[in-house]
Amino acid sequence: MNDLIKQEMMPAIWCQGCPLGIILAQFANVLAELGLSKDNAVIVSGIGCTGRFAGYMNMDSVHTTHGRAIPVAEGIKTANPALNVIVVSGDGDLLGIGGNHMLHSSRRDIDITVICINNELYGLTGGQLAPTSQIGAVTLTSPQGSAVEPINIQGLSTLNKKHFYARTTPAHVQHMKKCMSEAISWKGFSFVEIRTKCITRSKSPLFKTGCDLLNWLKTEYKITDENRKLKDNEMGIIKSG
Amino acid sequence: MPKKLVDGNEAIVQGALRAGLGFYAGYPITPASEIMQGLSKSGIAFVNAEDEIASVSMVIGASLAGKKSMTATSGPGFSLMQEGIGLAHMMRVPVVIVNSQRVGPSTGMPTLAAQGDILQAYHGSHGDFVSIAFYPNSVEECYKYTIEAFNAAEEAKCPVYLLTDGMLSHLFESVDLDAVKISLKQRDLKPLGHGSRHFTGLLSKEGIPKTKDSIYYRQWYKSYKDELSNAADNYKFYEYIENNNSDTLVISYGILSRAVFEFKGEFALFRPIRIFPLLEEIKEISQKYKTIIVVEMNDSQYALLLEAFLKREIKKVPVLGGLVAIDELRKGLLNE
Repeated sequence: MNDLIKQEMMPAIWCQGCPLGIILAQFANVLAELGLSKDNAVIVSGIGCTGRFAGYMNMDSVHTTHGRAIPVAEGIKTANPALNVIVVSGDGDLLGIGGNHMLHSSRRDIDITVICINNELYGLTGGQLAPTSQIGAVTLTSPQGSAVEPINIQGLSTLNKKHFYARTTPAHVQHMKKCMSEAISWKGFSFVEIRTKCITRSKSPLFKTGCDLLNWLKTEYKITDENRKLKDNEMGIIKSG
Repeated sequence: MPKKLVDGNEAIVQGALRAGLGFYAGYPITPASEIMQGLSKSGIAFVNAEDEIASVSMVIGASLAGKKSMTATSGPGFSLMQEGIGLAHMMRVPVVIVNSQRVGPSTGMPTLAAQGDILQAYHGSHGDFVSIAFYPNSVEECYKYTIEAFNAAEEAKCPVYLLTDGMLSHLFESVDLDAVKISLKQRDLKPLGHGSRHFTGLLSKEGIPKTKDSIYYRQWYKSYKDELSNAADNYKFYEYIENNNSDTLVISYGILSRAVFEFKGEFALFRPIRIFPLLEEIKEISQKYKTIIVVEMNDSQYALLLEAFLKREIKKVPVLGGLVAIDELRKGLLNE
């Protein structure tokens, strides 16, 4: 771990086997490689498991109300454009309760980076249906399985003529670092979706341990270097502008 | 400088700029929109936001980033801002929120004035917190108390409200705002990008969440309440017009107090300007009077609080929102 993580706050509150710890460590490495530190960067999170991300970073950070990380970040960036402002939050926070802000801050092309850790449900509250849940997902609030398509994050993130969208997983560390690094360096609004699963709540027979989960992600997702619409199981970077 | 014809909303714009406003975010709403329009031309950092939830969140972020920040709205938007108001109290962020009230509930009568958001201004957000609110009654006071709202926000490190209404916001008066001299409170909160502080809506101690510590919560709440109350003590603004021929004190505030002024021959008059926290001075002054009347453009919201505060029965004259005729006031006050 580098000194951009608050060592005194470890261990984090996250469950054993949850990939959030890997993402936190690699995020800190990316910031260090880009020369970002407490003198020039601010981390903003919303509410949820990923919402605790900001509090572990050794720099000024803001832990907002549920869904409001993006507008708080936009206020910070507009008030002081010299700061590098990075939002790290969950799928329910950014695309459920905070979906409207995602639409409009991206449209205004505010120069912030949003890193969305998508575990396809509301984990901290026990595992309820989220806008990102797959068809058939059995959760505490969809006991018969979800009947509707998940929200199209790629589509939403590439709506505007100028856009930056990346999809990756914590099982592909070099690719994940590349996505975060390019997004933070991008001038304008950039969005990184990190696909994962909730180790505790997703009740999948496919992964009982963190190791199982990483292996599953590794075989499920394939990297493409092409700048085009990604298929369901593809990872890559789509940018325009 | 010569006098100019200015309305309440323009005076709020001028007051905010005089106070050092550096950031504004807002969403259009009658009767507050002219504040946003005026500030869009001022050259300060400005966002035409997607809604009032975003507006209040942006002003919180901008304030943390080092700029004096404000948003303005009316009742429906003020309701949406309540979650952000709680966050700013928990994180201790200075922001100014203007609420130009109109008739509700819901969309109600949007172009007509009311004072229906008094209890929402007192305790609209969830959980316990201390409200600080000013309610001017003239265009010059809109200017003056906008500046004082910024001063109080910086001193108390929390959201401070400036309440107005559809009538005061659009009331034109001839004023020389440059002649109003108020010293400015400077900021002592270091802007973001200068440390490893963690600002959170969770109960926390030096940035570390304390979400299971009830004893600490009680300590925290006491010191929070003391700090805000002590800061508010420096802003005890009110107007009291004695009347030795009357045993009745009429309490009114904001735009309605201008009409109630017509009855100064019949009654003693008291007008709180810092409407929250409730002024201790009302306790002392009210003791001299046999009867207390509270007249307001709502269904007795302030009277409800004052009855508990003064521990005595109050005669209520709830004239409600909308256009108020002087005869309606006369009937309510004089039982004619």
